[in-house]
Amino acid sequence: MRFGVRALYQNKWAILAFAAMLALLIVVPLSPVLDKYTMLLTFIAINAMVTLGLCLLMGYTGQVSLGQTAFYGIGAYISAILSKTYGVNPWLAMLIAAAAAGLFAYLIGFPIFRLRGNYLAMATLGLVLVVYTLFRELGSLTGGPDGMSGIPHLSIGGLHFNTPATRYFLVWSFCLAALVLSQNIIRSRTGRALRAIHGSEAAAQSVGIDLSRYKVKIFVLSAVYASIAGSLFVHTLRFVNPQPFGFLASVMIVTMAVVGGLASIWGALFGTAVVRILSNEVLLRFGSLDIIVYGLILMVVMIFVPQGLFVGLRDTFQRWRLKRARQEAPT
Amino acid sequence: MSSPILETKGLTRTFGGLTAVDGVDLSVESGRITAVIGPNGAGKTTLFNLIAGVYMPTSGDILFEGKTLGKSPPHRRAALGIARTFQNVLLFDNMTVLENVMSGQHPRSRYGFLEAALRLPKAHREEERIVLASRRFLNLVGLGMYADRNPASLPLGQQKLLTIARALATEPRLLLLDEPGAGLNALEKQGLSELIRRIQEMGITVILVEHDMDLVMGIAEWVVVLDSGQKIAEGTASQIQKDKKVIAAYLGDEEGAG
Amino acid sequence: METGQFLQYLVTGVTMGSIYALVGLGFTIIFSVTGIINFAQGEFVMLGGMLSFILFDSFGLPMGLTVVLSIAAAALLGILLYLLGIRSARKASPVSLIVITIGASIFVRGVAAEIWTKDPVRPPYFTGSESLSWAGAYIQPQVLWIIGTALVAMIVLHVFFSYTTLGKALRACAISRQAAGLVGIDARAMALIAFGLAAGLGAIGGVVMAPHTTVSYESGVMLGLKGFVAAAIGGFKSHTTAFFGGLLVGIIEALTVAINWGPFRSEYADAVALIALLVILVIRSRSLSAGERAS
Repeated sequence: MRFGVRALYQNKWAILAFAAMLALLIVVPLSPVLDKYTMLLTFIAINAMVTLGLCLLMGYTGQVSLGQTAFYGIGAYISAILSKTYGVNPWLAMLIAAAAAGLFAYLIGFPIFRLRGNYLAMATLGLVLVVYTLFRELGSLTGGPDGMSGIPHLSIGGLHFNTPATRYFLVWSFCLAALVLSQNIIRSRTGRALRAIHGSEAAAQSVGIDLSRYKVKIFVLSAVYASIAGSLFVHTLRFVNPQPFGFLASVMIVTMAVVGGLASIWGALFGTAVVRILSNEVLLRFGSLDIIVYGLILMVVMIFVPQGLFVGLRDTFQRWRLKRARQEAPT
Repeated sequence: MSSPILETKGLTRTFGGLTAVDGVDLSVESGRITAVIGPNGAGKTTLFNLIAGVYMPTSGDILFEGKTLGKSPPHRRAALGIARTFQNVLLFDNMTVLENVMSGQHPRSRYGFLEAALRLPKAHREEERIVLASRRFLNLVGLGMYADRNPASLPLGQQKLLTIARALATEPRLLLLDEPGAGLNALEKQGLSELIRRIQEMGITVILVEHDMDLVMGIAEWVVVLDSGQKIAEGTASQIQKDKKVIAAYLGDEEGAG
Repeated sequence: METGQFLQYLVTGVTMGSIYALVGLGFTIIFSVTGIINFAQGEFVMLGGMLSFILFDSFGLPMGLTVVLSIAAAALLGILLYLLGIRSARKASPVSLIVITIGASIFVRGVAAEIWTKDPVRPPYFTGSESLSWAGAYIQPQVLWIIGTALVAMIVLHVFFSYTTLGKALRACAISRQAAGLVGIDARAMALIAFGLAAGLGAIGGVVMAPHTTVSYESGVMLGLKGFVAAAIGGFKSHTTAFFGGLLVGIIEALTVAINWGPFRSEYADAVALIALLVILVIRSRSLSAGERAS
């Protein structure tokens, strides 16, 4: 029996699921029946990139970051300010924003991952609140609480991403690219080091793996993903205000990551979709029950399925398949 | 006679009020199989943890190949050439048997994030080299056929062999084996002895902490005896067996006097 | 600025700092005994304050009784939180423990907002609101209650940890869970007590603070954060340093508002504490003994 990431390609169920998902993704914006979900799916793709970073972070560093929306916001605002106020090419702005977010993450992560306790959660909570305050207060730069509008859309040569459908495909390309890129990383030497850290920190050190260096790397990667997502967000909506970058948004991302599963790449997509749909379709009708529900989900999932919901389901499914295979095989 | 590959000078480690290792002077000859024995609580594993860098000495020094290790962390010592196994195995159960060994190649390989993410040819070439090298180490310990298995599905004896293969993959010059024989049956211990000799032939110095006297007497060329954190005797296996202090230490332990 | 104004700010700083100190003590107790960062610590403060108001306002109970009941209820909830968490502790993931406390904290916030009210509430002052005058500054009696309570709590804790068997057992756990277990101390019982104690402490802070500053369903977040900074100053090990750390955070915060120049303005007062946190963490990670480092 093969398992591990390589198994994805041998696993016929996984290939089927992936193909079905791709088919659905392509059909939605083109079908007159389903195209009302285009916006929802666009935002799922954007959010999934942020969740992906957090899933990897939680899985491989054993710590929680409540600050993903800070990097998301940094990406958004830098892209918005540079492209709108200073007329910088949006792609360049996106790159600059990602570099800035990565640098921030490095500066924060470097001291924190060398410490033994789980300080990342609080430190990143602090980061989110500081960044949110800055977005709100630096009015001349950010437009204050009312935000900025008129942000240019993205384009490559003559192809302009200014319709729901084009933006949908652009954003999903980025999202899928991030997922595949992450997969490649996990299959590599770096990924083995990360999985080793996840398996046993003491043993990982004994084979020469510098724990804090890798943890910082993953933190920086998660910040870069979030920042790019933020840039895409802003070029899709063509408007930005501080509202989506506060504490509540951070908690929602954590909930998505928890539902998705620690260290799980495709689980991140699953978790994002589930929580987004839940919050849009269900919670919106019941007023501000969302934090109660998120809190409950976080507690319940972590108590009963500490590796994350999707991962737990997938493992159960695999065990079931294994049992079936053993029952059918004569030996 | 070549200079010692490992030396400790007045090595001491205290935990609060407890002195686990007390002024130990050690000199391990390169290429020689050395065993560290002693009754329970003698400080053997603490000594290993000090050499591996998991603990820092309270006082004293450790020299590897003539250079002091200072405060270097465990991962740097692995890169320097000190490998170790653990008493409680500590496998990576989230990867295959082969991948466990491949992780051991970490300090001997170099390709980065970007090359991996984009699957550049350099990454592919390195991966192939790592796979080949790892398969060799896996075959060396006799687990070649289990390359794609889940390590949790292997019996204890083979799991321990796997961790030895993983440690060997770091291409060390010094290998610390922490109770490699614990939990093994007679046949497996025989295989272990032969493996340790093969490792010696590869030019690697082996230090083992072990409780099984037969195993120790069979392969150790030099034995160091610890009791209550202090070195009380050292010599060849036959010398140690007759040493009065050693016998007293073990008898004391058997009577449960602590 | 005249002396009176400056003193006023100082008093505010010490007042708020006393609350941060209590929260920081709670963090320190739980972390030192169990190694867990209890994200919900700030919510216990909020609960203390809100419950004392609810019991007084909706149930008409006398303040003395509501105070006691609120603190007891919070302590019980702290214990409940721990009990919910141990189930998870058996399986993998230290992450799951933090997430559980995060989930608990937002759950409590949400419930408080839905079941009670979103508006800030103000329980009655303990001994009235007639300000006393002192060197040009006006000090309300509740302020004296706050500072006094924090000091008394600190002293009582100190005596508790140094001279009582239970206190010493908790300290033993903080030094080494393994060694404590060897001499017969039940680490799980100690953890339970630590949670209850920390929650109770937080609630005491909330109960005594609410009449002065009001309390609302979202008070917990910033209080938790600032208490965390206080605990960080104490390295999550030293109660006394955490206490003074809390006072320091409060004073710096008040001074930021007082200066009102450049980046030091009231809008950024919250941010000051958070930046201080990052600075502390950086300093700590550089000056660690090898035993404390992650590797």
